[in-house]
Parts: sequence; structure tokens; C-alpha cells
Amino acid sequence: MTATPQASAPASRQTDWMGDAMQKRIARRYAAERRFKFLGLAAVALSSLFLAFLLVVMIGNGAKGFVTTEATLTIDLPAATGSISPDQLTEPRLAATMASIDVRRIFDQAVQAQYGDDGARYFASTAWTALRNQLVENPNLVMGKTSFWLPTSSDIDRAAKDRSTPEAERDYAALTKAGEVRQSFNMQFLTGSDGTDPARVGIWGALKGSLITMVVTLFLAFPVGVLAAVYLEEYAPKNRFTDLIEVSINNLAAVPSIIFGLLGLAVFLQFLSMPRSAALVGGLTLALMTMPVIVIAARNAIKAVPPSIREAAMGVGASPIQVVFHHVLPLAIPGIMTGTIIGMARALGETAPLLMIGMRAFTTTPPDGLTDPATVLPVQIFLWSDEVNRGFVEKTSAAIIVLLVFLLTMNAIAVYLRNRFETRW
Amino acid sequence: MTITATFFLIAGLGLIAWVFARARAGRFIQSGVASVHSLPSYHGWYAAMWAVVPAILFLLVWSTIAPALGSYQVLESPLAAGLPTDAFERAAILSEARALSHNPDLKVFNDAAVKLAPLYAAADSKYAMIGALAAFLLCFAGGAFAFTRIRPDFRARTQVERTVMFGLLLASLIAILATLGIVASLIFETVRFFGMVSPFEFLFGLDWNPSDKVVDGQATGFGAVPLFWGTVFIGAIIAMLVAIPLGLMSAVYLTQYASANVRKWMKPILEILAGVPTVVYGYFAALTVAPALRSFAVSIGITDASSESALAAGLVMGVMIIPFVSSMADDSIAAVPGSMRDGSLAMGATKSETIKQVLIPAALPGVVGGVLLAVSRAIGETMIVVMAAGLAANLTANPFASVTTVTTQIVQLLTGDTDFDSPMTLAAFALGLTLFVVTLLLNIVALQIVKRYREAYD
Repeated sequence: MTATPQASAPASRQTDWMGDAMQKRIARRYAAERRFKFLGLAAVALSSLFLAFLLVVMIGNGAKGFVTTEATLTIDLPAATGSISPDQLTEPRLAATMASIDVRRIFDQAVQAQYGDDGARYFASTAWTALRNQLVENPNLVMGKTSFWLPTSSDIDRAAKDRSTPEAERDYAALTKAGEVRQSFNMQFLTGSDGTDPARVGIWGALKGSLITMVVTLFLAFPVGVLAAVYLEEYAPKNRFTDLIEVSINNLAAVPSIIFGLLGLAVFLQFLSMPRSAALVGGLTLALMTMPVIVIAARNAIKAVPPSIREAAMGVGASPIQVVFHHVLPLAIPGIMTGTIIGMARALGETAPLLMIGMRAFTTTPPDGLTDPATVLPVQIFLWSDEVNRGFVEKTSAAIIVLLVFLLTMNAIAVYLRNRFETRW
Repeated sequence: MTITATFFLIAGLGLIAWVFARARAGRFIQSGVASVHSLPSYHGWYAAMWAVVPAILFLLVWSTIAPALGSYQVLESPLAAGLPTDAFERAAILSEARALSHNPDLKVFNDAAVKLAPLYAAADSKYAMIGALAAFLLCFAGGAFAFTRIRPDFRARTQVERTVMFGLLLASLIAILATLGIVASLIFETVRFFGMVSPFEFLFGLDWNPSDKVVDGQATGFGAVPLFWGTVFIGAIIAMLVAIPLGLMSAVYLTQYASANVRKWMKPILEILAGVPTVVYGYFAALTVAPALRSFAVSIGITDASSESALAAGLVMGVMIIPFVSSMADDSIAAVPGSMRDGSLAMGATKSETIKQVLIPAALPGVVGGVLLAVSRAIGETMIVVMAAGLAANLTANPFASVTTVTTQIVQLLTGDTDFDSPMTLAAFALGLTLFVVTLLLNIVALQIVKRYREAYD
């Protein structure tokens, strides 16, 4: 530094703000500002576009899964059954009647009469059970000649919705021309279970498996989670043992879900030899995964209750247990519920740990109890996505729609509870 | 009498005990005793506790030993004399017979099981009956004992509260038990695995080609480096290339530029991305993204592009992680003191200059911690890679080629029958332990960084 302050002061010029160079510089900085802001907007837009794209693809594919294709079949029932009366098709005598009038034979003969020798190719292999169900539902049909709408084969179903084999396309065109085919809402999809024919599969089996598993998870994870949170937040002494509990809970919350599957496999299936594929084991595994989420949410909710409430209760003579169970917990319940619903939603969408403990059973009937072989909705989606038959694409997407509806509803309830009941102190 | 029915009956008896004990204690107050220690309902809880807890504990223990007692009785019977002496075969027949006794429609492979099924039904129902009777006895005895102790000066509340405290402690111990269970089961199986494959070969071997073959107690083809590379390539490189810019820029835009209204709507929408189940992402990646990327690769001249590319899985996983990175960045930017931001703006810096040169550098430790947490989540993610990434263990940096990951191989190794003596099953646990340790370390480091950074500004 050789220049003295006196020498440099006159040398420093006033900045020429309106000058050309300065204006250009400011314009450049403002352009950079606009670019940066645009980049931010683009990031948000890109993320939400991706979500929109995902939903559109799933709904576009899945909407067809809720629709089934049916062809008409006219049967002269009095002739075919030997004029049985409607009350033979009602309860005590139903089983005996069904044994005597072979519905499958009636169906085959009617198909042959209406569509020719290989007319069976139009219908699903299980179409005759649909005929039987319609008869049982409405016994009066046996009194006359009736047209039944019965499910078509999955090739024709695909021809109606998309593209299929050339023969099926031709068959479908012929049926349409004769007005013998229609599309209707697929009740079977909501009430049926897994199967091999994509046109006839349903999600009820998997949904029921999910419900049973979630009930087990809730009954285990909620009480344990809330009680543990109460202990840690209100009573735990500050010592190394308490620190150990805290570290365990925080670690459990960060462990990848598949590790819980390994735990379930090694401890519940191998060590305790519980049944494979059972909703009970799935619920236990998911409960271990959900519990830390509930503990953390419940601790935050309990922490948010101001100390003045505790002091007031203590002041009128409540015991420490009464303070918590009569005053703190009721005030913390909305927060706890919100955390629990979010944890349950996560458990409902979980797949990997359940694959580990074999909850991928192929069952064509819904599970009836805690130890029956069962599958759950996300695993069902995974299994269908692996099927070679193209007909499963729409079923997979339709099942995804059902799963997303459940999850979004749960999250919406959680948000509603948070906004409606949570008090800011 | 099923166990479930017994449980419900005991709960009902507990309720009855509660009602009677409460009524009896209530009479003390009516009769005007001066110093009643506890409220009547505490006496009720005390009696209910004594009626229910011992009986339920007994039932739990009984339900674990009763099947063994049943098997023992069946084996003692003359019909069981003809069973094979091989323990494994005999156990198979016995378990079939037991399943048959519960469900008569079951198809069985061993005819011997059909003969034994009625024996099992008889033995099981006998022991269930004994268990239920003993539980009821305990229930009545406990209830009666508590009932006799009810006196005006009896400290029922203290007793009940002590039990509640014990219950609270027990609940928080479950977290430790679960952690111990995870660590113990992973380590136990991994040690057995390392008896067949040397740890050095597992951690540094380049050849992943697992098989059941064990020669001289040693198995080959368990070099996991291609798996580790695939996991890092998809989860820590490709996914983060998507998630960091998008997540960070979304957070910056939503916190610094967007109006309150836009923020109110966009934040939940981004959070939906985190709530979509991974199996849905996996299906989307396999059905839509992977074929599109493959045809794109072919159109730019990469003819050997795989339809199960690392890029497809990584891209979709990155999108899944966006809300996570975004909320972590949001938190760290919000933790930067307002005075720093105001100072920069007052000096004439534009908003973007303030963000780039003041806010983000100041929030960097928090952002880095958040990214590490995101990486730990991405490498533990399973369904996306199972459905969209391949099974071929390639050691390649070509994003259009197929690579496999640790989680994919765990699922692959444990699908189908799991025999706990096969090196393939045990390898899954060794991979699981590696994953567990790596995610744990990432989390500890990330939380340390975030914590230290918070302290710096507090």
C-alpha cells in the first residue's frame, strides 16, 4: 500500500449508475434473476407433471380394469331344466336341485345352439358359474326363455378394449354387428380373488388380507407406540438406559423396510415357527416398522402440550399418572391420530417386507383368519405385474387405483384431523 | 374352546371384577368412612388387573407349549409306532397331520398323516381345555384375592399406578428388543454364511453368481461388488442427479418466490409424491419409463440398451426422493438467520444472488445432511429396483445397461422355499447386514452434520 488516503480519495469516482456499462450489468443481473426464478418454477412444475403423468397413465390403463365385456346367451330354461319351479332354487332345496340340473351342461348346450360348435371360445371358462349365480339370485328366471349376459373370454375382452389376436378381433366384430355383446361395470373385480384368467380376477381377497394385516398392525403398534412415547416424554429419567431406548427408536425409523422382512423371516418364521404367508406375521412385521413412526409423532404431540396444563393438574393434587392420562394425553390425541394414520398409510403401501415372509400366496378365496395364507394389495399388484398375459396390465393398474384411493383418503383424513383439532398453544 | 374365545371370556370376567370391586369400594364412601385412600374405580382396576393379567400371561405361555404336549401325546400312542425314525420326515408327517386336524379338506402327501389326524384333534382339544380351565382358575383366584384386599385404607391407586408405570417401561423396551432382534438375527445368519464364504471374497469379489452348491463346506460365486456398485449407481448417483436439483430448486422456489397461495397448494402435491407406494413407482418404471428409455437409446444409436436399465430405475427413484430432499432443504434454509438474508438484500444483491451466495452456502451443512439421509433411503429402497432394474450383476457405468442391487438380490435369494442351511438364504442375510450397517452409518453421520449445523445458528 503506497497510496495514502489523501491521494486515493480524489481518484475514486462517483459510480455512474445511468451509464451504459452499469445499465448493461444491471440488465444482466436481472436476467439472471429471472432465469433462476424460472428454474425454480420449472423444478416444481416438472415434479408435479411427473405425478400427473403417473396418475394419468394409471387411470388410463386402470379404468378398463373396472369394465367387463359380456355376451348374450338365450336359454330356454323350462326346456333345459325339465320345468323346475322357482322355489326349488331357494334355500333348503337349492343344493339338491343344483346336483340334479347340471348347469354346466345347460350352458354348453345353449352355447352350441346359439353360436355353433366352437361357440365356447366366445365365453370365459367360468361363464357357467356366472349363469348359476344369476339363477340363484333370481330363481324366477327358470319360468321362461331368458337372455343372460355372461362374461366373454379374455381375448374378446381385450379386443373390445384394446387390441387382441386377429381371431378375437374378428369374433368381436361379428358379435358387435349382431348386437350380442356389451360392456358393463365389473363387479367381479371388486368381489373376486386372485386367479389365472385376467378377465375374472378380483381384488377382494387381497384387500381383505390387507385389512386383516392392518388391524393386527394397529392393535400392536398403536398402544405400544403411544405408551412408549408417554414414558420417554413424561417419566423417563435422564440416563444412559433412556438414551439407548431413544437411539433404538430413531434407528428403527430409519432402517430400510426390507430389513424388517429379514427380521420377520428369521425370528417369527424360523425361530418361533409361526405359519408362513399369514396375516398375523405380516401384521407383526409391519407393527415393528410402524411403531417408531407412531412413537415419534406421539412424542411431538405430547411435547406440544404446554407445561402449564401439567402444573395446574399437579397443583390440584393429581398424581403423575393422572396428570398424563387425564390431561396431557387427551390434548395430544389429535396429533397422535395424525401420526398414526400416516404411519398406517405407509404400512398399507409396503411390499418388500411382506415378500420376505411369504405373503405372496396364490389363493383364490379370501383369507378368513389371522393364520390363513393371505396376500395384501401391494403384493397382489406386484404379482400381477409379473404376469405374462397382457390382460393383467389393466387389472394391475386398476388395483393401483384402488390402493391409491385408500392411501389418499387416509392422508386426507390425517390432514383434516390436523387442521380441525390441533391446537396451537 | 379356542384360545381366542378364552381371551374374550377372561376379558369379560375382568370387567365383572371391575364392576364388583368398584361397587364394594363405593360403599365405603357411602358408609361414611373418614379416610378412604383411593377412588372406587382404582379398586375396580386393581381387581380387574389381578383377574386378567396372570390368566393372560398363563395363556400366552400355554399356547407356546401346548402344541408340543399334543405332539408328545400323539407320539406315545400305538398308532405312531410305525412312523419313520428320521426326525425330519417324522416332523413333516406330524405337521401335516396337525394341519389336517384343523382343516379336513386338505390334501396330504403322507397317508400316515390321515391316521394321526383324529389323534391330533383329540390331543389338541384336550390340552386347549386344560389350558382354558387353568386360566379360568387363575382368573377367579386373582379376582378373589384382590377382592379380599379391598379396604378403606388400601392403597389401590398406588398399586395400579405402579403397574401402569411398569407397562409404560415395558412398551418402550420393545424398541430395544426389535433393534436387538434385527442385529442378532442378521449377525447370526451372517456368521454362518461366512463359514461357507470368506468375508474377504464376499466384500471384494467381483463375481456374483450364487448357487446352492457347497464343496468342502465352501460356496463360490458370492462376490458382492457388482451389487454394491449397482446400488450406488442407481441409488446414490442417478437418483441423486434427479432428486438434488429438482428437490433443492423446488424448495428454493416454494420458500423464496412462490406466493402463499401457490405454496399452500404445491407443497401437499409434492408430498403426494412421497406417499405413493413404491410398488406403484416400480410398476410405472417397468411399464412406461423403461420401454420409453429403451426406444430413446436405440434411436440415438445405442443398440444394446437393456429394457431393464439402471437409468429407468434411478430416474423414478429420484422422483420418489424429491419431496424428501425438498423438505430437508426447506428446513435448513428456514434455519438460516433472517439477518443474513436481510443484510445481503440491503447491500443491493438480487434475490437469486442472495440465495446462491448467502442462503445456500449458509444452509449447506443441513442440505448435505439431508442428501445423505436421502441416499440412505434410496439404497434401501426395494420395489422400484426389483421391478425395473435387472438381475444381471454387471459392473458397468452405462446407464442403459442392466445392473442389479443389494435389495433386488435379497428378494431374489429369498423367493420360493427358504432353507436356512443353503448359502443362498444366508447370503441374503449377509447382504441385509451390509445394508443395515451402511444405512446406519449414513444416518449417524447425517444427523451429526445437521445437529452441529443447528447449534451453529442457535
